[in-house]
Amino acid sequence: MRTKSQNRKIAKAILYVVLLFIAFLMLVPFAWMLSSSLKLDKDVFIVPIQWIPENPQWSNYVKIWTKIPLAKFVLNTAKLTIIVTLLQLFTSSFAAYAFAKLNFRHKNTLFLAYVATIAVPWQVYMVPQFMMMRSFGLNDTHLAIICLQAFSAFGVFMMRQFYQGIPDELCEAARIDGMSEYQIYGRIMLPLSKPALSTLTIFTFVNTWNDFLGPLIYLKTESKKTLQIGLRMFIGQNSSEYGLIMAASVLSLLPVLIVFLSLQKYFVEGIAATGVKG
Amino acid sequence: MKKKFLGLTLAASMAAASLAGCGGSADTAATAADSEETAAVEAGDGAEETAAAEAASSEEVTLKWSVWDISLTTYYEPLIEAFEAAHPGVTVEMIDLGSSDYQTVLATELTGSGSDFDVVCVKDVPGYTTLVNKGVLEPLDDLIAQDGIDLSMYGGITDQVKVDDKLYELPFRSDFWVLFYNKDIFDAAGVEYPTNDMTFEEYDALARSVANTEPGQEVYGAHYHTWRSAVQLFGILDGKNSIVGGNYDFTKPYYEMVLKEQQDGVCQDYATLKTSSLHYSGAFSQGNVAMMNMGSWFIPTLIEKISAGEYTECTNWGIAKYPHAEGVEPGSTLATITSLAIPTSAPNKDLAWEFVKFVTGEEGAEIIASTGSIPATMNDDIAAMVASVEGFPGDEASREALQTANLYLEMPVHAKSSEIETILNEAHDGIMTESITIDEGIAQMNEKVGALLAE
Amino acid sequence: MAAKNRTVDPDVVQQKLAKLNLQLKELEGQMEKATDPRKRRKLIAKITAVEEKIKQAKTGERMTRQQRRDLIAYSFIAPNFIGFAVFTLGPVIFAFILAFLEWDGNNPIQFVGISNFLDMAGNSRFIASFKNTIVYCIATVPLTLAAAIGLAVILNQKIKGRNFFRTVSFFPYVASLVAVAAVWNMLFSPAKSGPVNMLLYTIFKVPANELPKWAASPDWVMFTIVLFSVWKNMGYYMVIYLAGLQGINAELYEAASLDGAGTLQKFRYITWPQLQPTTFFVTIILTINCFKVYDIVYMLAGGSNGVLSESAIVLVYHIYEEAFRNWNLGYASAVAMVLFLLVLAVTLIQFRGEKKYAN
Repeated sequence: MRTKSQNRKIAKAILYVVLLFIAFLMLVPFAWMLSSSLKLDKDVFIVPIQWIPENPQWSNYVKIWTKIPLAKFVLNTAKLTIIVTLLQLFTSSFAAYAFAKLNFRHKNTLFLAYVATIAVPWQVYMVPQFMMMRSFGLNDTHLAIICLQAFSAFGVFMMRQFYQGIPDELCEAARIDGMSEYQIYGRIMLPLSKPALSTLTIFTFVNTWNDFLGPLIYLKTESKKTLQIGLRMFIGQNSSEYGLIMAASVLSLLPVLIVFLSLQKYFVEGIAATGVKG
Repeated sequence: MKKKFLGLTLAASMAAASLAGCGGSADTAATAADSEETAAVEAGDGAEETAAAEAASSEEVTLKWSVWDISLTTYYEPLIEAFEAAHPGVTVEMIDLGSSDYQTVLATELTGSGSDFDVVCVKDVPGYTTLVNKGVLEPLDDLIAQDGIDLSMYGGITDQVKVDDKLYELPFRSDFWVLFYNKDIFDAAGVEYPTNDMTFEEYDALARSVANTEPGQEVYGAHYHTWRSAVQLFGILDGKNSIVGGNYDFTKPYYEMVLKEQQDGVCQDYATLKTSSLHYSGAFSQGNVAMMNMGSWFIPTLIEKISAGEYTECTNWGIAKYPHAEGVEPGSTLATITSLAIPTSAPNKDLAWEFVKFVTGEEGAEIIASTGSIPATMNDDIAAMVASVEGFPGDEASREALQTANLYLEMPVHAKSSEIETILNEAHDGIMTESITIDEGIAQMNEKVGALLAE
Repeated sequence: MAAKNRTVDPDVVQQKLAKLNLQLKELEGQMEKATDPRKRRKLIAKITAVEEKIKQAKTGERMTRQQRRDLIAYSFIAPNFIGFAVFTLGPVIFAFILAFLEWDGNNPIQFVGISNFLDMAGNSRFIASFKNTIVYCIATVPLTLAAAIGLAVILNQKIKGRNFFRTVSFFPYVASLVAVAAVWNMLFSPAKSGPVNMLLYTIFKVPANELPKWAASPDWVMFTIVLFSVWKNMGYYMVIYLAGLQGINAELYEAASLDGAGTLQKFRYITWPQLQPTTFFVTIILTINCFKVYDIVYMLAGGSNGVLSESAIVLVYHIYEEAFRNWNLGYASAVAMVLFLLVLAVTLIQFRGEKKYAN
């Protein structure tokens, strides 16, 4: 008995060591980023690395707001990201419900159309898409980015995958109780799909927040640009101002981190045994 | 399996059919939906084309001009101000397409119909060739003849950008490569500054004489940025070889020189520079680079950064003419031009031409020179203007270095320039990281470019 | 879906019914003869459809039940599908048609048949990119999958600082690529004094002249890229696995514990099979994302001019350079078609796998 509990302790200890090592691997680059963001440009690449700068340049974090219209960029990006995420969540889960739980004509064909487009890199249809958007008068508008991002096949695919894990009997029972499909979706499926929805939220949020090429092609007016283009523009113009670049990168990371942290907590609490089978 | 495949192809073809219909109707729908805009543009078109040329009438016109790096470039604003002052009622609006992907975004913008740019900057020659091949630029020859513009003021560079004997752009900036050097390093080593008349042997010896390979206190005698132009193109300065000719044996002595320097620690390791993406300005500003060959566009940057107090290790700098091969006239160097062009879809073509004429002509040149940048129309007066900009090195040799003899484009106009560029870059990369030998690299270039040209 | 009774001419209804009944008889006759199970299934479907129609004709309803169901289903799909069809599917299909055309975006389009596909065979950059993409996928998919599932299983245990570790593992995924790629290039600097190389030199005693040049060397560049991809993306897939793990019924583990199963056995007989749907999903997404890799390679191996050499080029980059540097939109679309077929093959194989698990 004793050896067993000892074994367990040793196993736990090893586990923690492994975890700490992984955490270290994960964090090193970020530590570097953070430490560089507090350095003078010329000190950034000096070897051996000075992890805690002797003379931290907090002013980098002040300067970056005046060097580029960062506040405007953040606002634009936040607006786009929130709208896209909401649209994506709503329309994907709606459509995915039909694909997972309803039988209808052309179901497989329509679904294959979705799956097939996941496989096509955006670069392939970027030009026809741009020409189409422009002919709709959407060039240089935020609406273009929203249309571009909000109806992704990925969301539908993911949500369908999740709904398929929910037993059909649940829906059948509700149908016998006289619920309409809309009621089943709203009252049974949606509450059950919180874990999947939060996962999709994280993914959509991250993708939209970090998207670069889309805004680059569609947004030209400075006041409409997003954070990533702003960052890239800044890097292009001041490629050797590493301190400022890193400070801006750290700032651009924060919102995504906050979204993840808040949803992650929810993740853990919310996925109690609700009959959901991954 | 089979059934699914069938179903899929069926779906695809059905959707294709519906798209074909869709595409057509989308176009018409779009024109209908956009009719307001188009109508406005067309109305503008008709009215301006006749009116604007005669006199800048009271009518309000906006010229859309695509540029990059508005906040970094000091001459855009004064150019626009001067033009607007001479043309009442005209506003010039700049659209910043970003510098790193400028040509890509511009080409996308001008693809199909519906772009409303009046004047576009063309950043490099491959980008220019692309646009000309796509047929989206107006040929300027008739306009040039009609207004009697003397192309000789561009020093022959316009002849090098003719495509099928037609000119589609006029240069307003013409940067050429010079040797930047850090006087402090030469002073500390007790070595004479680089001169305006050095052969490559002398240059190599000079670089070695100031280099310090002691770990921790490295001084690099020379610095070559990771662009292939920085090494490969030493070879075309004798005027006998072409970078699109298909034979690259002439690059060998220069690769040998630079690789030897790299192995001896006289210059920084290419592989390291490449992966760290160290910017040339970052390298030079660290104060441990004695000489760096770079384009004259670095002059205004240096002046500005030093006066802003950002560069403290290279405040005492100078420029010298490019080193040259035995028997070649000093001052032969590489050139990169930045030009203006008018898209075929431009709504206000006549006014756009006025603007192009203004920026690329004398007046524009003076404004550009007064900010420390090198305009395309170069003469003694303009060179003097550049040299008199505050922060420009005061010594006579640096002023003299602004006089060029023969200018060779970094990449001449060629229908396959971007494909050739890719092949040359690949070989350059291989040679400089020493993953292939110089001979292998040259053989690779000869073979692949040869095959491409034979197509 | 109000199904109102209509006032219809009874004769017409009778005629219709007679016709339908005849069809039904015929189908039933075929059914008796048919032996092939697949054919039988088809016939059953047809019979049901005809029966529905008969019912509809009898009751005089405007729509059959199936039609009403279809409408409801379409109303669910429509908000997403309309946007998707207009902004994604349309351009995608157009791009596929382009594969058989020659077009630079401005000059008139020309039909060239399959010559775009034939051109690929002679293009050394295409061949290199095809090979590299496959190599990249084969290396990255299993590694990422293993890392993700391992992490998820560990981080699903009740351990201290669980949330911290979860967040940390997810960190690389959310970070802006531009920034982390710069950091990696620094850490894996090809110089002998680069941090990782110093580590190899001092601790693992790798001789100085054998130190890898990482992204700058043709032999190591793919390895560096794979390493970076696994590091950057495993957090993403871990999250999906975590969601999957949360769905496994805890009673299963309790029962297994009672039967005396060890950790490994539990993983093998409960966790792994229960995670099959998740693994299916992750493998598809991961494989597709691997085939679509572009920005990572570009950032790590592109250097200052952003041109990839043949040792690092991947399919999407090849598409990109052909489309936007050389404006061969037709050829680029043809390469995309190849990419698409690759992914489609993987997806179909996976779909079959899923069916097997479901049964």
